[in-house]
Amino acid sequence: MADASSLPRRILKEAQRLQQEPIPGIAVEVSETNLRHFFVVVEGPRGTAYEGGKFKLELFLPADYPMAPPEVFFRTKIYHPNTDKIGRICLDVLKDKWSPALQIRTILLSVQALMSAPNPDDPLRENVAEHWKTDEHGALQTAREWTAKYAK
Amino acid sequence: MFGSSSEDVVVPRAFKLLKELEKGEKGGAGLPPYLSYGLADADEDEDMRAWTGTILGPAGTTLDMRVLELAIECGSAYPERPPEMRFKTKVNLPFVKGDGTVDLKTLGVAQAWKRNNSIEDALNAVYHAMMRPECRRAPQPAEGTRY
Repeated sequence: MADASSLPRRILKEAQRLQQEPIPGIAVEVSETNLRHFFVVVEGPRGTAYEGGKFKLELFLPADYPMAPPEVFFRTKIYHPNTDKIGRICLDVLKDKWSPALQIRTILLSVQALMSAPNPDDPLRENVAEHWKTDEHGALQTAREWTAKYAK
Repeated sequence: MFGSSSEDVVVPRAFKLLKELEKGEKGGAGLPPYLSYGLADADEDEDMRAWTGTILGPAGTTLDMRVLELAIECGSAYPERPPEMRFKTKVNLPFVKGDGTVDLKTLGVAQAWKRNNSIEDALNAVYHAMMRPECRRAPQPAEGTRY
């Protein structure tokens, strides 16, 4: 069992608040063995190709958090131009736009927003972005198929 | 000291492997010039188990300048336990078994392994072992032979 006494107070606070005031459509569970490690399930936003799917992510707060951003990646396969094959996410708030004033909550909301608004002009997967730009209808169809297949 | 408590931050397996992958992907920046590694199949390997690595044989040995390929398996016990390594390029070395498997005990990696060690460290151990006195002059199979 993990020991909470040595954990920075800020992390405890954030984790507590995520339980007490959950983000609609996002479930967060902290690992039993590592209080910096979170298992997240994001429901595919309504009206998107991900609707009806449950997308698993893992989130980790590195030793220098909150000076460094949380690390987060998709564990469920998702057809989205701003993710790569392994599930890594291209999101400015996870990189140069990170600020210690942001939180786990902000990051998860940003992930949810990214699912609602794929941005093929700043892609992580060129071929998926290309699909989006040349045949958006087809790309959304593939995204829906992946949602049905992988995001149960 | 404020904030710097005795907390021992443990990086979960997946996040550690992602960091390692990132380092391997940066065209080897930060890696010794004689090493490279990456995921074997990023499409189908959710658990990031199967990796491939290459070692450039050390100068002054019978493997000098040879490109040696290895299959690396980071099982679910990784990084608590070291990765399993198997040569795909045929070599004759005392710490490599008949099927190409690296004997981690003979290599010394099994005993010395710590959780924050990496695939890079494991490959580095193999590279440095090639320069041991009992290895450097070992006659080698014809270049390009595979298991």
